[in-house]
Amino acid sequence: MAKKVSLLEDFTKGIWKENPILIALLGLCPTLAVTTSVENGIAMGLAVSFTLVCSSTIISLLRNIIPKQVRIASFIVIIATFVTIADRFLAAFYPEISKNLGPFIPLIIVNCIILGRQEAFASKNNVGRSILDACGMGLGFTLILIVLSTIRELLGSGTIMGFKIMWDSFSPWMVMILPPGAFLTLGLMIGASNWINDRRKRS
Amino acid sequence: MNLIVIFISAAIVNNFVLSQFLGICPFVGVSKRLDSAVSMGMAVTFVMTITAVVTWLIYHLLLVPYNLEILQYVSFILVIASLVQLVEMFIRKVSKPLYDSLGIFLPLITTNCAILGLALISVLRNYSFMESLIYSIGAGAGFTLALVIMAGIREELELADVPKQFQGAAITMIIAGSLALAFMGFAGLI
Amino acid sequence: MNTSAKMILVLTVISALSGGLLSYWDSFTSEKIEAYRQSEIQKAVQKVLPESDERKEIQQNGFTFYIGYKNGEITGISFVAEGGGFQDIISMMVGVTPDFSHITGLAILSQKETPGLGTKIDYDPSREGMETWFTDQFKGKKTGNLTYVKNQKPRSDSEIEAITGATISSNAVVTILNEKISAAKAAFESINE
Repeated sequence: MAKKVSLLEDFTKGIWKENPILIALLGLCPTLAVTTSVENGIAMGLAVSFTLVCSSTIISLLRNIIPKQVRIASFIVIIATFVTIADRFLAAFYPEISKNLGPFIPLIIVNCIILGRQEAFASKNNVGRSILDACGMGLGFTLILIVLSTIRELLGSGTIMGFKIMWDSFSPWMVMILPPGAFLTLGLMIGASNWINDRRKRS
Repeated sequence: MNLIVIFISAAIVNNFVLSQFLGICPFVGVSKRLDSAVSMGMAVTFVMTITAVVTWLIYHLLLVPYNLEILQYVSFILVIASLVQLVEMFIRKVSKPLYDSLGIFLPLITTNCAILGLALISVLRNYSFMESLIYSIGAGAGFTLALVIMAGIREELELADVPKQFQGAAITMIIAGSLALAFMGFAGLI
Repeated sequence: MNTSAKMILVLTVISALSGGLLSYWDSFTSEKIEAYRQSEIQKAVQKVLPESDERKEIQQNGFTFYIGYKNGEITGISFVAEGGGFQDIISMMVGVTPDFSHITGLAILSQKETPGLGTKIDYDPSREGMETWFTDQFKGKKTGNLTYVKNQKPRSDSEIEAITGATISSNAVVTILNEKISAAKAAFESINE
């Protein structure tokens, strides 16, 4: 029974309790840069999740073979390989999205979430738990990206996924899709999540 | 003339941190104190410049002639990781005081997306050797500038009465937002 | 086996596997990527040289010219013009009359301008039915000394209307055109020499 609970915990902790963006503050660059539209946010979330799950699987399988001294170098090569695969896949099958995300797809390589999870989890745990952990973290990352990009697209362009949502006379808050809007929205979201956690602790 | 535009654009108008969102992690993590912000900025500028030179040579003399562009990401990140190691060893040998002030930041630089970002953007924009060199110095200067301004504000902020939930990362983000807004005012410069 | 030998072995094996996997993936995707790029170029050429029904490609001095013919006669010449925009390179397909005196069409190939402002050079969602008004207005304009005007209709055939709030992007397009059209003209004329 205890084991079952911990397996579920491996998965769910990434979504809220140890959320990579809100709590651990990892992977902020793509979070801020690509969330100008919901479509980009989802694509980025999926690309990161794909890389995370694949790298975690391989690295946890190889965890007893890779010598400690070349650990980071090996991780980086494995991660970069999967990122290249994801990048070429998008360029071949979803060229429009690939154009929008630009250099932020290859920059997944240095996304601290991925290297951080390898170092903290996949290199120490078995394959099953590592995959669960990676899925949870990937989902947590994607969800925050969706929330952030929904707020920014709705207020900044008056649309969601390109569909018009706001009333006709609504004039878009241009600043929301410009860089300052990204910082402000994320700052408010982090503050709000701290507030919710505080309330929970108190009650 | 073109080189000056590239420099100013990378350092101020399209500031790496505040408008391109590169290098946010160290921007949030190492901007608590002014002196460490200056050291981090210098370390990043240093590694950036060397990275720009080496990755340019690798891309144009090795990857393109042999049709190996698909290995671009793998080779770039390996180059950056080994460069950071080399620079660390070199500084330790040559100058002890420099190592003491920069040393602890160097390992963090490998995963600083500003470095890889710089190498990738130089390739995307098809910069010549000279252009990518100037671009890297400008980007480093811009990174240092953003970090130093942020650290200065955060030192003052310790005296301010920030709501508990917003202390730390949340208020840093909001200040960064205001700074980004201020930097947009430079837009007409180029 | 000692540690350093193992270290080197593991790294070599991992890199070799990664290289193998990637070269397989490259052969699988590169055709599709290239095909997409070609189709984008062809679509753009079609847009800027609407009257032609046959095309020829010529390379000269770094320019690739797509020459449009109708019934064996040259109707226009198009080429890619690139230059710095507000944030990043703006890349455009320009079509001109055979003597390079007038623009027959303009299409944006790629740009990374500010979303919602500078991106209007490519697509402006606020003008329903004429989202590409910015590039469309270049059709028929005289080359050589293009200028932009703000918040008013252009009065001469070398003036275009800038995008409100994105003067820098509008200016970038005009500057790139002025510069590249004359460079392309020189390159094109050197073909026959």
